[in-house]
Amino acid sequence: MEKQVAIVGYAQTGYESDVDASREILVLEAAVGALRSAGISREVIDTVVTANNDYMDGRTISNMRLVEPSGAWLKDESKVEMDGAYAVLYAMMRILSGDHDVAMVIGVSQASVFPTYVPGVMTLDPTFDRERGLLNEVSAAALQARAYMDACGVTEEQIAGISVKNLRNAALNPLALRRMPVLTVDDVMSSRMLYSPIRELNAFPPSDGACSVILASSKKAAEITDCPVWIRGVGFSHDSYLTERPLDKLGSLKQAAERAYAAAGISDAKDKIDVAEVHENFAHEELMAYEALGFCGEGKGSALLESGATKINGELPVNPSGGALAANVACAAGLARIAEAALQVRGEAGSHQVKGVKTALAHGQTGLCAQENIVFILGGE
Amino acid sequence: MESDGLQNVDMVRIPAVPVFNWSVGNFMERFFDGLKGGKFMGVKCPDCGRVYLPPRMICERCFAKNDEWVELPPEGTVESFTLAQVKVGEDGELADLEAPVLIGMVKHEGADTCLVARIEGLDPEEASVGIRVTAVLDKSAESILDILSHYVPR
Repeated sequence: MEKQVAIVGYAQTGYESDVDASREILVLEAAVGALRSAGISREVIDTVVTANNDYMDGRTISNMRLVEPSGAWLKDESKVEMDGAYAVLYAMMRILSGDHDVAMVIGVSQASVFPTYVPGVMTLDPTFDRERGLLNEVSAAALQARAYMDACGVTEEQIAGISVKNLRNAALNPLALRRMPVLTVDDVMSSRMLYSPIRELNAFPPSDGACSVILASSKKAAEITDCPVWIRGVGFSHDSYLTERPLDKLGSLKQAAERAYAAAGISDAKDKIDVAEVHENFAHEELMAYEALGFCGEGKGSALLESGATKINGELPVNPSGGALAANVACAAGLARIAEAALQVRGEAGSHQVKGVKTALAHGQTGLCAQENIVFILGGE
Repeated sequence: MESDGLQNVDMVRIPAVPVFNWSVGNFMERFFDGLKGGKFMGVKCPDCGRVYLPPRMICERCFAKNDEWVELPPEGTVESFTLAQVKVGEDGELADLEAPVLIGMVKHEGADTCLVARIEGLDPEEASVGIRVTAVLDKSAESILDILSHYVPR
């Protein structure tokens, strides 16, 4: 894709486990922050796409009271009930249609207000799995982790290495929830066991927060900013229900990445991508993502980690922000990966800035065991 | 920042319990009827031959309606497993179990998809992918959902 849609602004709230603010105030903070970052007023926004979830918000058509804080009053407004990364895709399509020039995307949820693990249970097959009480997003991820470990000879200590890398990176990110500058593999391995091999520190922390990204057509982007972050490519793919597909690899992420690379004209991902923000709800998913994204060969994810390449000062840093292990707001975690990738391209990431980022990758996922995946390739001028 | 919460209303409850009146559908009905009679009934895709257990009406790979019923043996292979120390409690949060539970994802012989159930009679330390197991049915279970009780090693 040649310079058709650009990211021109973004903002994230600080992430907390029990924020002293309403959902509306979180959205207002993200929306106002993104407008300020883009240097534009509400009037410039043509269309608003929110990413939120009726169940998590405890109300039906839960975007209805987001009209006020998102700045959508009397504007074209709609909702994606998935991760906000998909809302970016939808907003991009609305701009590409030619009907809109500037779109605001906002993802939000507050894990502190809903029963944290029930939404995951509600995604299970209601005629069997849901009722039997064994599966949920953590136990399902444990089955995925074990299948991957068995197929690729990966150890629990190697998986813990992802948590150590990401949560230490998070110490450099003032917005992150879990900031752990001196975390060790032993610390991760002695954290509370949930479903083997998944422990508390290699599972996401339920989080409250919001993230917003502003997109613009090429014409408008040129008016708004001197440093647009172009969407060079996007790919997405949706796999089967978790008991009906191989769990030892992320097939739909591989396909999504291949589509995004083709759109961006990238043939050697490891060489061309300067930084990646990956949506790893669980530590092992980042190792699996290395393989699916083509950063290394199949089964070589742990070797890539141990080579140091994905550290913040490595040749292909992954999750300098700390990733979803550091803060994971449902409906906003993948969107936050896009905001963080854009931040890196613009050189505005502060303490967790990677040097010389020209091309960045951002990944979002939805569904048990990463059932569907979306990949964006972002680049500057 | 930890919130003390507002003092006037500490919790809002929906004044109705959302109960959904789903039918399990014709295919799952036949699956459960099979279990009552001690049989594992799956379906086969007419195009690719993929066998779904539990039965699914549609093969997503072929975009075809599955129509051929096949009886599968109670034996299968553990494709993955986890030792649960917690469960999702009544409040929707993770609550500690009194005793750990071994959960297996099992592919029956002749099937291409998996069932998830407890594994008993196996030291969790000895659990591994590829172990062969047999289903144990409890035909006196109160709920048809509990007829497939667990798997044991063979």
